[in-house]
Amino acid sequence: MTKYTANPLLWVLFLVLAAAVLVVVRQRKASAALRQEISGLREHYTDLEHHYTQSVASAQEQADEATKTVLKSAMRTLQGLAAEQQLILSRLQDKYGESVILQDLLEVDHTNSQFGRRAQSIAVLCGGWLGRHRDVASVYDVVRSAQGRIRHYRRVEILSQVDFGISSRAVEPVALALAELLDNATSYSSPDTVVEINIRTVPKGVVIVVDDAGVGMNDEERARAERLLTTERVNGVGGLGNPPQFGLAVIGVLSERFGFEVSVDSASPYGGVRSVLLLPHELLTGMPERRTQPPAAAPAPVAAQVPAPAPAPLARPAAQPAALPSAAVPPPAAESYGSTEDGLPIRRRKRPMAIVPPTESAPYGAPAAPAATASRSGEQTAAMLGAFQRGTRSGRATQRDDANQTTSTRGASSEGHEFS
Amino acid sequence: MRAGGEDLEFEPADLVRAYVITKGRELPDEQQLSLITLVTAAPQDGRRPARLTPEEQRLLDICSAGYLSVAEVAGHTRLPLGVVRIVLAALTEGGHLMTRPPVPRARNADKDLLEEVLNGLHRKFG
Repeated sequence: MTKYTANPLLWVLFLVLAAAVLVVVRQRKASAALRQEISGLREHYTDLEHHYTQSVASAQEQADEATKTVLKSAMRTLQGLAAEQQLILSRLQDKYGESVILQDLLEVDHTNSQFGRRAQSIAVLCGGWLGRHRDVASVYDVVRSAQGRIRHYRRVEILSQVDFGISSRAVEPVALALAELLDNATSYSSPDTVVEINIRTVPKGVVIVVDDAGVGMNDEERARAERLLTTERVNGVGGLGNPPQFGLAVIGVLSERFGFEVSVDSASPYGGVRSVLLLPHELLTGMPERRTQPPAAAPAPVAAQVPAPAPAPLARPAAQPAALPSAAVPPPAAESYGSTEDGLPIRRRKRPMAIVPPTESAPYGAPAAPAATASRSGEQTAAMLGAFQRGTRSGRATQRDDANQTTSTRGASSEGHEFS
Repeated sequence: MRAGGEDLEFEPADLVRAYVITKGRELPDEQQLSLITLVTAAPQDGRRPARLTPEEQRLLDICSAGYLSVAEVAGHTRLPLGVVRIVLAALTEGGHLMTRPPVPRARNADKDLLEEVLNGLHRKFG
C-alpha cells in the first residue's frame, strides 16, 4: 500500500482527478446560470416584442385617425366648394339658357358632380359629412341624381318607375351608394353596352336593380364584395388596395349607417353583374308634391326672362279664328292645369271668351254635365243667347277696328289667345 | 353624420341636374327649333306613352292644349331655355310633338304708296 502511496504518479493522478471534478461542477453551475439567463432573456424578448406590436398598432391607429381627420376636413372643404360651384352653375344655366354656352355649362356641371361625388365617398369612409340636407324626392329622381354623378351617365337607362318617395335623410346616401354601383357597372362593362335600371316594388319595400353587360366577377372579387357589403367595414382609407377601390367599401358603410341593403352576388341576364339595392319601408314616403314655391334663387331670373323671348312677331296660328263660333260653348276637353310652380297661369287655348260672363249653373271653365244642359231654365237660355250675341257683336267690332291693321298679328301679345 | 348647423352653408342645388334631363343630347339647330317655333302635342290615341321622364310628361301637358311657342313653353317650366329646347327636340323626334315654323310677320304696307293714295283721294274728293 505504502508502495502505492509513495508513488508520486498516483498523487498526480489524484490531483488531476480532483481538479477535473471541480471543473465539471463549476461548468455545470455556469451552464445552469447561463440557461437561466437565456430563458430570462427570452422572456424579456417576448415582452419587448409584445410591446412593440402594441405600440406599432397604436401608432398606426393614431396615424389612421390623423389621416381620417385631415381627409375629413379636407373633403368637407372640397364638398362645400363643389356644392357652391353647382349652385353657381345652376344660376349660369338659367342665365345663359338661350345661348350655345349652355352646352358647355352642362359639361362643366357634369364634371363638377363627379368631383363632388368623389369627395363625398372619401368623406363617408372617414366618417365625415355627407352633404346638404335634401327634401323628400321621388325614387326616380334619386336614381337620376345618382346617374348624373358618374362619367358614363349616357349609358344608363331607367326602364321603370314607381310612385314612391325617399325620406329626406336617405336621399343623399342612397343617391351616393347607387352612383357607386352605377360607376362599377359602367366601368366594368364595354363602352357600347347599356346599363339598365329597373325600379320595382316588393313586399319589403322598393328595389333598384342595376344590370350591366360586363364580364361579371370572379370568385375572389365576389368574396371581397360580399365581405365589404355584409360584415367587414372599412375604416379610413387604408386597405382599399392599389389602385384604391372605393365603391363597395362606401356602399357597405352607407348601407349599414342608413339601413338599406345592397347585394351584388347575382348575375345579370346579360352575363354581367346584377346589383340590387333594397330600400325598406322605413326609408320610403309617398311621392313628394311638386314644389309650389320655387327655390329663392330661381323665380327672379326665370320670370324676368320669360316676357323678353316672347316678342311681338309671335303670331297667332291660322287655325285660331275657327274657334270663334264655338267660344260660347264650353270647351270640349277642358283640363284644369292651374298654374306653374312660378305662379304663372298655364294657358289653355280653347278657353271661352273673357267678355262672356259665365252662367251660374254651368261655369265655362268646366265641361257642362249633360244633365245640366237638359234642365236649363228659360232665363238661363236667354242669358246665354244674350251673351253669345254680345260676344259676336264685340267680335265684329274688334274686326272692324282691325281692318286697317294686319289681322294676322292681332293676337301677337302673349295673351293673344284671349281674342280668339 | 351631420351635426346641427353644419349643412346650412348653401341651399342644396337641384337634385336632378339639367344634363341628366337632356340625357346629354346636343342643342337642336336654330332652324329646327327656334324660340318662336310653335309646338303642340301630336294627337295620340288617348294614352300617354310610358317611359317618359317627368319633365317630358310635363312639357307634353303644357303643349297639349294647342300651339305654343318654345319660349312660352320654357316660361312655364323652371328649366333653362336651352334644356327645354333639347327636350322638345327629342320629343319631336320621338313623334310626341309637332312643330311648325313661326308664322312670318306680315310685311308692313309701303308708306309711300299709302301716302300717294291718300293724296290722290284728297285731290279727287277733298
